[in-house]
Amino acid sequence: MRTRKLTSLALFATLALAIYSAESLLPPIVPIPGIKLGLANIITLLILHLYDARSAAMVLLARVLLSALLFGQAMSLFYSLCGGLLCFIAMALSCRLLQGHFPELTSIVGGIFHNIGQLLAALLITAVPGVLVYLPYLLLSGAVTGLFTGLCARFALSRLRRFRPLP
Amino acid sequence: MNTLSKRACLLAGGIAVVLAGSALYLIFQSRAARSPDTSYTACIYRDGQMLRSIPLDQVSETCRFTVDATDGGYNIVEVSPGAIAIVEADCPDKLCVLQGPATDSLLPITCLPHRLVVELKPGTDTAPDAVAY
Repeated sequence: MRTRKLTSLALFATLALAIYSAESLLPPIVPIPGIKLGLANIITLLILHLYDARSAAMVLLARVLLSALLFGQAMSLFYSLCGGLLCFIAMALSCRLLQGHFPELTSIVGGIFHNIGQLLAALLITAVPGVLVYLPYLLLSGAVTGLFTGLCARFALSRLRRFRPLP
Repeated sequence: MNTLSKRACLLAGGIAVVLAGSALYLIFQSRAARSPDTSYTACIYRDGQMLRSIPLDQVSETCRFTVDATDGGYNIVEVSPGAIAIVEADCPDKLCVLQGPATDSLLPITCLPHRLVVELKPGTDTAPDAVAY
């Protein structure tokens, strides 16, 4: 990996971490576990569209591990990993399918799969099948927050692409 | 229509179907759960094991008890006639307290950091105040 790219990706990881910590200061929007804006996903979306899936995966992993080290409890790492990885796989496939167009669609797919991943983690941890009734709430909220982060990513992309070729 | 917009339409259609499904499910579910004459039994689970089950229509006065989490934390549960709530906890996000009292089977109260779930089930067929530690 070229040094310039490494530096850019490190900067993106820092940005994601900053967004994540700023968002964790906001009070919860609705008192249902798992519903949050997921603004740090903007960065994953940006890298997925500006670079490639491998770089996006590395930045996501760096962000998840660092945020668990800096602000998390042991449990939140497991939730973040389950949600983050499922979300990432779904977004990488969707981004390839759409050939890098329509970032908001990719983001909606990501939001939905992020929440599915977190619900599966909650199912594993609580071992109560009753938590599955959260699924329709989480699918809907994942789509809404995904659309929001996707639009943020679209506006950021249209500005960042002026700096092409990116390192 | 070119391949790309066809793919985008397919993807958007798939998402729309999933969302419409969840919305319909929620509408029917909330109607079913809000029938007024159902009595519920509250089941308290920790780490997937049922600790207590309390038939809520047999509760005559409000009382509180503490549920100790496996990691050393606690949740204080308040039972009143027809309702159950987590009123205090030392978990980081306090979402379990913010969820307020549960009076129907629509959503369980969940404290993910403490692996605690309070679920309401219709009926009172469980043995009254069964304790299984």
